[in-house]
Parts: sequence; C-alpha cells; structure tokens
Amino acid sequence: MLEKVKEIARTVLAEKQADGVLGLMKGQWDIIQPHIFESPVEVDALVIEPKWLLAKMAMTVLRSSREGYRLAVVVRGCDERALTELVKRNQIEKERLVTIGIACTAEQAQACICDRPYPQKLDCGDAVAGVDPFSIESVKELLAGDGPARMEKWANILKRCIKCYGCRNSCPICVCVPCKLEDQVWVETGVIPAEVLSYHLIRAFHLSDTCVACGACQEACPVNIPLMALQLSMREMLRETYGYDAGLDPERNSPILYDLCKEPAAGQALPDWVNSLRKDDES
Amino acid sequence: MNPDFIKTICPYCGVGCGLVLKVEDGKVVGTYPDKEHPVSRGTLCIKGWSAHQFVHHADRLKTPLVKRGDTFEKISWDDAIALAVEKLQSTAARYGGDAIGGLSSAKCTNEENYLFQKMIRMAFKTNNVDHCARLCHAPTAVGMGQTTGSGAMTNSISDLAGAECILIIGSNAAESHPIIMGEIYKAADRGAAVVVVDPRKTAVAENAQVHLRINPGTDIPLLCGMMRHIIDEGLHNEKFIHDRMEGFDELKTFLRSWPVERAAKECGIAEEEIRRVAEMYARAKDAAAVYCMGITQHACGTANVHAVCDLAMLCGQIGKTFSGVYPLRGQNNVQGACDMGALPNVYPGYQSVSVPAVKEKFEKAWGRELSAKPGLTVTEMIGSAGKDIRALYIMAENPALSDPDVNHVLESLTKLDFLIVQDIFLTETAKFADLVLPAVCFAEKTGTYTNTERRFQLLRKAVEPPGEAKGDFEIICLLANALGLDFPYKHPGEVMEEIAKLVPEYGGIRFDRLEKAGLQWPCPDLKHEGTRFLHDVQFTRGKGLFIVPAYTPPFETPDGEYPYWLSTGRMFAHYHTGTMTRRSAFLSREMEGAYAEMHPEDAIKAGIREGDRIRITSRRGSIVTAARITKRVARGSVFAPFHFTEARANILTNPVLDPISKIPEFKACAARIEKEPHEKHER
Repeated sequence: MLEKVKEIARTVLAEKQADGVLGLMKGQWDIIQPHIFESPVEVDALVIEPKWLLAKMAMTVLRSSREGYRLAVVVRGCDERALTELVKRNQIEKERLVTIGIACTAEQAQACICDRPYPQKLDCGDAVAGVDPFSIESVKELLAGDGPARMEKWANILKRCIKCYGCRNSCPICVCVPCKLEDQVWVETGVIPAEVLSYHLIRAFHLSDTCVACGACQEACPVNIPLMALQLSMREMLRETYGYDAGLDPERNSPILYDLCKEPAAGQALPDWVNSLRKDDES
Repeated sequence: MNPDFIKTICPYCGVGCGLVLKVEDGKVVGTYPDKEHPVSRGTLCIKGWSAHQFVHHADRLKTPLVKRGDTFEKISWDDAIALAVEKLQSTAARYGGDAIGGLSSAKCTNEENYLFQKMIRMAFKTNNVDHCARLCHAPTAVGMGQTTGSGAMTNSISDLAGAECILIIGSNAAESHPIIMGEIYKAADRGAAVVVVDPRKTAVAENAQVHLRINPGTDIPLLCGMMRHIIDEGLHNEKFIHDRMEGFDELKTFLRSWPVERAAKECGIAEEEIRRVAEMYARAKDAAAVYCMGITQHACGTANVHAVCDLAMLCGQIGKTFSGVYPLRGQNNVQGACDMGALPNVYPGYQSVSVPAVKEKFEKAWGRELSAKPGLTVTEMIGSAGKDIRALYIMAENPALSDPDVNHVLESLTKLDFLIVQDIFLTETAKFADLVLPAVCFAEKTGTYTNTERRFQLLRKAVEPPGEAKGDFEIICLLANALGLDFPYKHPGEVMEEIAKLVPEYGGIRFDRLEKAGLQWPCPDLKHEGTRFLHDVQFTRGKGLFIVPAYTPPFETPDGEYPYWLSTGRMFAHYHTGTMTRRSAFLSREMEGAYAEMHPEDAIKAGIREGDRIRITSRRGSIVTAARITKRVARGSVFAPFHFTEARANILTNPVLDPISKIPEFKACAARIEKEPHEKHER
C-alpha cells in the first residue's frame, strides 16, 4: 500500500496537480515527522505510519504559502473529513487542495474506536469495517448511570485537566479567533483544573456539528481524559436527530447553523447525559 | 518558502518532551507534540505548546553589551572577549584563581556544561563552579549518592504507570511535571493507590486516593512513623535487607524513638492514617516513591532524601521495574549539568575532585594542573561576593530571582569587581553585569539535554540566532582559547566523544546514537542499549545503605510577629524566573501578574478579599502582590510562586542552608500579611 501512495504522490508532483505533498517522512536515523515533499525523488522517504493528523497543518501551510500554491495531503478518513469541514467553513480554498486517501488498518480503527476508518475518496488500501463506539465497554461505562452518577464520574475525570489546551490545539477544526476558551468570562485564568461546564462543555458543544471523530483531542491529552466519549455522543445526537455526519457531505451545511426552523422538540437536541453535567442548582 | 518541521526537545522542565517546531522563513512559528517521542508520546503541557513564543521576542539580546556608568553600550565580540579575559586574568593574578567563580546552567546543553566547568577548572585552577541544582536537587545528588551510589532517578518515567502504589511527597507534578502526572494517572486507572503528602491541597492531592496534609517540614516524622509501623508489623523485606543492604540495625534502633504516636503528633496526621498509608506502600507488589522540592528545599533536605530512600529500601522497592525512587528534576538539563560536573566537588560523572587518582586522570586528559580543593557552591559564591569571590561568570542563571533572600543577593552582586552574564534576555541578574554576552536559545542550537530519567536527548537547531548572538558553546570556546587554553571543538558531538572517554557510564553515548529516542545512562559502550532502571543486581555503591535521617524542624516557625508559614513554588503556566514564559503571549495571558494564595478564614480575619493588594513581610524583606483566596493552602499558610519580578517571592525566603547539600530552605519560613491601602485614582 505504501508503494502505491508513493506512486500517486510522485504522479501528483510530476503532473503538477499540486506543488507539494504534505505527508510523513522517514528521514535520517528513521526519524518520522511531517514534511512537504516537493519533488518526485524526495517521495522515496514518504511513510504513512504512525497515525498523525495533518489537516490543521495543511490549513496553516496553505494560509502562509504563495497565492495559487496547491497542496496535496495524504489523508486518512478522519483527515479527509476534517479538510472537508475546513473547506466548508472557508478556512481552505477547495481549488488548492488535493487529497491522497488511504485506508486505516483494522487495528488502527479499533484503537481509535472509529466508525469510518477510510476516506470517501479512497486511493490506496482496502477499507475495513468501522467500530461502533457505543458497543465498546469503556465508552458504555462512561455514559452509563443516571444524571448524578454521571456527574460524579465525569467531574472526577475532568478534574485531572491540567489546562494544556492540547485538546483545542490539536483539534483539526478548532479554528475560531478569538477562541471562547480564552475568554476570561468563561474560563478563569491561572488555575487548574479547567471548569467542567465552561471549558469542557463549551468545547464539546462548540464542536458538536464539526467534530469528525478523529480522536486528536484525546491523543493529545497528557492526563488521559477520554474526550472522545464526550465528543462522540454529541456527534451521535446530530446523526440521530438530523441524519448529519460532519465531514461527509461537502455540500451540506451544519443543521445547527442552517436548519433551525426544523429543530426537533426541546430537550432532544442535547444528549441527555451531557445535560446531566449541569450544576445542581440549575436542574 | 514551505515550512520545515524540526524535531527537538522542550526547553522547560526535566521531563524532556519531544517537540516538532514549525519553521517558516527562518522563524519558528509553531510547536506541535512529537508523536514518536518515548516519554511524551504526542502530548505536551501548556508551556510545551508555547515553547516557540519567546524565541523571536524583541527583547532578545543581539550584541555584547558593556556597562559604562549606569547604562549599557554595545561592543564588538572581539572587544567583549578581550575585556573578559583581561578582567578575569587580572583578578586571578591579584587574588588567586579561587577568587573567580562560575555559575554554569541547567538550561544549557551537556556539552556546554562540560566545557564551562572544564574552562573554569583549567584556566583558574579552581573548583568554584556550580549551578542551580544547588537550589533544587543538591540533596538528591548527595543523599541518593550516599544511600544508593547514584544521585539520579532509579527508574524510568514509564515505569510509574505499572506501579501498584505511588507515594508522592512534596511534588505538584500536575503543574510542574504534567506529563509525568499522566503516567501516574495511568497507574491510578489500573487500580494503583496514589498517596500524596503535601501541606497544600494541590491538583495532585485533589486527584489522589489519600492526601496527608502534613505540617510544613515534617516529612521525616511521617516517614519514620511509617517505617516504624512497617517494621512493627513485619512488613519490611527481610531478604532484600539481608542480601543487599547495610546499616539496618542502626535504622531500626533509631526508629524506636519514632513510634507512630509521636510521628502523628509532629506532622498533624491521625495515627491510623499513617499506619494505613505505610501498609499501602509496604504491601504493594511494586511501589514507587516520587518526590520533588517539598522534600529537598529544607534545611534538612538531605536527611529528607535519606528518609525516602530508607523507606524504599526497607520494602525492597528498588532495583526492579515499576518501583524505585523518583526525584523529579526541575530544569530541562539539570540532570545533565550535574552529570557533566558543573558542581564544585566533582568532575564529570560525579568523580571527586579530592581523590588524587581522579584528579590525576583529569589533569592528564586536560593537560593542566587542577585544584584538589572543593570549590564554593552557588549560595556560598553569592554570599562571599566582594570578599573571597571577586569576579563571577554567570551563564544563563538568574539568581536575582531564584536565590533566597534576594535583597542580599542584589547587594552581593554589586560588590563584585567584575560580573559577566551570558543569557538570551537582559535578565534581572544581567542588569547588574559589567559585561553581557548574548547567547542563543534551545531552537538555535545543537547539543544534548539529559532528562530526569537519565535520558540523553538530541537538540536540533531549527533557526539562526538573532543579531550577533552566539551559541554558549561557541562563546565558551572563544573565551577559553583567548584565556590560553586549547578548545579546538567545532561541533558538540566532538565534545561528547571526549566526555565518553572520561566517564565510564557515558562511554557509549554518541550523537548518532541519540537521533531516534536518546539513550539512558549508564551506557558504558557502543553496543549498550542504555539502562531502564538502576541498582539491578547490586547498588551502584555495592550494598545499599540505610542512613538514619537526622530531623531538624524548619529553622523559622510562625510566631506572634510573623504568624504565617510561607512556602514558594511554581504554577502551571510559568517557569522559574519567567525569563521565557513571561515573554510568551499565551502563557502571560494565562497568568499575567504575581499573586499569593491564602486561606479564606485567614483572609476574612485580615479583611482581605480576592484580588486585593497585600503586603507579605518576612525577616528579610517584603513584597506587594495580589491575594488569591483558596483552600489549596492550609489555614495559617501562604504560598507565593517565585516567577514574578514585580513581587519576588525570594525576597522573603530564608537563606539558611542544609549543612550537607547547602540547599536553602525555600519551603518554610515565617511571614506576616497586611492589606495594602488602595491606590488612589483621581477622576
């Protein structure tokens, strides 16, 4: 599969479909890091493991590159979905982007509890079946119990937060300037942990219609907070209520932004368990 | 121009996380976590994510500066080196080489530290070289050296995740070593018991199974009470003690004077709690003891370290995976600066300057006569400025903020005949310098750092230095050669080869072997893969040694005039003297100015509200800062981070020293708090 990716990357460069290919490079002494390949010869050093999300990097590269610079990106399913969302939100010009889609392995899908471990435009590898996150024991346990029980469980987990902002920084579609999490009205500065309601839930809600379930936030968390369980149930709610999956259809806009009049009955739009993380005096 | 991505190592704490710097048009514009790094594995703390932000700050020093009157003037490198040589040589000629002192730097690379101490020792025939390890883990170097033979973390960071019981004493790892905290949480998620001993209710304590909120400075009573209970219950590891230890009888006899009842009274903890925690630790299959400044920064710091080691050895929790003793080192390369002999009593590899055979070995290798007399420590050099020490060369240290009793430090600095400060910014210390040499930061140099788990790691140069700034490596070579030494080094890798020849434990360290994941010393030869944990078959010193921990309560205790306990430390968004973090936009947004924490009940009594200006006064001086009212501190205690130049916590701290390691008692002194009158604003 790797050889096929390289072949495509060389063709993309040789035929000038793009000026550079963003992927991973295995350099001297086997060091692997992101790299922009600009000549077909260089592509020999391209690798596709480990999973290393490149969507946000692609966005910043395109922002600072010269006008008309076209970038190809080696993408997994989640990376492709993230790029689609970034295009939809006018962060990337579609014309300047080419993707080389690769499928994830079954092991990777398992590790990411990913229900769609392949891109829509699959160029290399065979798509493997996804994993239903809600069938995973650890996820079920995190979402189980009544309101107060969940509240206690999650408060205990989230009080580990060291406020590194890694979940936000690594998120491929967290691009707002200014960021709500930097607003002192919501998030008190200078103390840890970050507040459950005003940091973690603002983040979760803010991403409810853009989260592409890539898992970058959880992977970047130094204190192992299972952020995906929080995010996936937000995502699931949009899927159930609107049949909407962020990152899949480039033409369909977020139902939260565009389908307000079709909003379902009150209470349904928010996952019940998220609702339960409110403070007692608000219930 | 497309961006480059350069892998390197974080410049902040001793965890040594992997960074990927994004470089655009010769500027570092972003930091990403390194997914492949053996320690951080794709995660970073807030400081790591912001590591690039100070690199191109407008305040960076760009030319050498000389002080004329009250102001600095630019001079050329040639003139700067000539001036430094003239002043250092004339001082040495007039007062002798022992009148010269050098403060090396835990922020600089191993190679730079090696060259710095080599230059001071060779050029002036003095051992007056030390660095800020004196202010953090000197008791570890001495104390663990005595008990085990090696003053370094026994195990690897990743071992923590596999421990069954983790005892954390005096470490706020959640703020100071966040990536290590993650490993501790991994253990907790697998069912490990996490016990925290700290007078403050830190984030670590909040997330622990048990928090023992001991009275300040009562670590030895607690540990002795635990050990006494372990022996009384027969939970100690007799086989381990018999086969591998010495000094048990002395310890056992001593512990007769520490029944749990006495320990409980002394540290303000219920007897049952002490017994319970002792049993949790002693009964665990694998137990780890993590400690930090709460143990070391006391006038009995070395004895505190002895007590921690005694506990681990009593239970046989050393010399195997998932167990051990974990001193969490502060600076990115404080382990390395110690390893490289930037200490007044040892050459590289902790080889004693007063052992004749060792001195001869280094004299032969370096080709100069060396001094057999141990040199002065940081605190002693500053203390004798203008007397024994006439000229001081400070490389990337900031004693004007970091040392105890800062007012006295500042006064001392003015008494020097000549002060050279080499740094990346005009620090509070540099302002006192006669000559300032502009150096380069982590993103602009190549070399190695050694993290807290003894891992040599490679730094990779990402960008060019600003203006005429030069690497510390190059500056030392320039100066050494001008002082008549032969420092022909062109690349740090050559220096590492020289170090490998002189220190058996680092014999297998070469730059090309560090590229992928670094190497943990001891690594004696080129085939050796490095060492995950120490004291495997036998201790570095042969048998492990129980040392009776000599308890002395804090030197100063609260009284009528100074009714509060004051302790100092760090907070998560800033690092040490703030030279770098306070010039990083995201970090100063998180915490802009100085503050001190006090308990709500104390605040009510004193009529102080959140954010009020308060004056904290000790016998040394006073500072004005903002009150933060929180139950993190105990009643009758106040905590002040030492990052802030506008309210230097170290103006207050007590310079009383641990007699063995010479560390000051940063963690306990007496203070009083008063509300400052409101500033008047005219409309």
